[in-house]
Amino acid sequence: MIKKLSVLSLLLAFVLIFTACSSGSGSGSSSKKAATKKVLRVVNDATYPPFESLDKGKMVGFDVDIMKALSKASGYKYKLVNVGWDPVFAELKSKTADMSISAISITADRAKTYDFSKPYFLSTNKILVAKSSTIKSAADLKGKTIAVQQGTTGQAAVEKIVGKNNPKVKKFKTINLAIMEMLNKGADAVVADNTVIEQYARNNPSKNLKVVEDKDAFEPEFYGIMYPKDSKLKPVFDKAINKLYSDGTYVKIYKKWFKVSPDLDTLKAQQ
Amino acid sequence: MGVNPLDIIREYLPFFASGTLFTVGFSLAGIVFGTLLGLLVCFGKMINNKALSWPFICYITFFRGTPLYVQILIIHFGVVPAVFGQSNGILAGALALSLNEAAYIAEVFRAGIQSIDEGQTEAARSLGMSKLQAMRYIVLPQAVRRVLPPMGNEFISLIKDSSLIAAIAAPELTYWAQAMGAQYAIVWTPYLTISFIYLILTLTMSFLVNRLERRMATK
Repeated sequence: MIKKLSVLSLLLAFVLIFTACSSGSGSGSSSKKAATKKVLRVVNDATYPPFESLDKGKMVGFDVDIMKALSKASGYKYKLVNVGWDPVFAELKSKTADMSISAISITADRAKTYDFSKPYFLSTNKILVAKSSTIKSAADLKGKTIAVQQGTTGQAAVEKIVGKNNPKVKKFKTINLAIMEMLNKGADAVVADNTVIEQYARNNPSKNLKVVEDKDAFEPEFYGIMYPKDSKLKPVFDKAINKLYSDGTYVKIYKKWFKVSPDLDTLKAQQ
Repeated sequence: MGVNPLDIIREYLPFFASGTLFTVGFSLAGIVFGTLLGLLVCFGKMINNKALSWPFICYITFFRGTPLYVQILIIHFGVVPAVFGQSNGILAGALALSLNEAAYIAEVFRAGIQSIDEGQTEAARSLGMSKLQAMRYIVLPQAVRRVLPPMGNEFISLIKDSSLIAAIAAPELTYWAQAMGAQYAIVWTPYLTISFIYLILTLTMSFLVNRLERRMATK
């Protein structure tokens, strides 16, 4: 019996090693023929409605639709893969993915390590609190417990006010966990991109939430498609983005998800 | 990256230090409460009455049969807010680890107790000891010696499993490593650093268990 078991485990080990090797060589050959239009590996963190989330297992959202339109405009085929927020950055850094469209704000810090497309979305961090909350501005966040999604500009904005790695800033893997923490009174506020928390407050009226804006403390941010450094795809998709702006596709997708018209002038002025 | 890994580690040193304390704290809580509760569950499961032992069997089935990660989420976002009206990552983490550990400890103890030959209990009983006395003075002392190595194993996995508590933003080691990784978009520095710290913790644990084993063996 023991002999049988050890043979079995040996076999299992071989199978594992073999699959590991074959998948390794597979990705190697696909990066070699980058000259012919290969299928792009586009990664995201699909926990961020209305930009990207899973609806019965299917990826939906503003970014998902934009990517589809961009692929049509550029002629590139792609495969959208949900890998999670931190892995998005890890994959682009190690160049195992070609690009990411995942509501990523363009920041000077990130631009040191990655390339960004022209901005395709305008966003601001806002504060989500209970209706009864006394928090009226970003300055009121001092001394309060704040839940954020780890590694987001929301976290950066909060830490600018209360200090970096302040123990009262709770960092969660997804925005939903952060919001849940606040609903369970483990935090007094959530700071995140306005579209996400506004939609959450709108979709969940029974939770009695409100969104607080502070234009002075939180600067406007622009989302961009993120690439590994020196990606050759950037000019191609920059052109495609402008095409979506000019042929009305962008406005159509924007209205579908946010019910209002986009501020195209501000977006274009950023270019 | 232009950043020197040593500089980043130095920057995060206080956080890793407090994170280590939390990890040790979570592990200790899991070991102490897990062992106490585990003993209770073990005796509960061994009751010779199906109706009475059934809840304990269910307990073990649930906590051994579902992922610890899922248990942590349930306890943090479900159980703790329902009981205390407010979520608390530290409490939820310690609770989840203890409850989970108890299920494993219970089974380890049961195996230890049942491995002691029944003749010993019978002999003790024929000398006039009560059932309880036979358990306390004859079976348990021998069982404890036998279960020490598997218990040591459980404690070591417990230390490692405590890293899952990072999911609910309890500020232990892995939580800070993730914060560091996210801030600088780096992988090796944070995770190798905490791997090293975890190794020190688990090695210390196995050293302690080894010493205890040796002391009990010569007794």
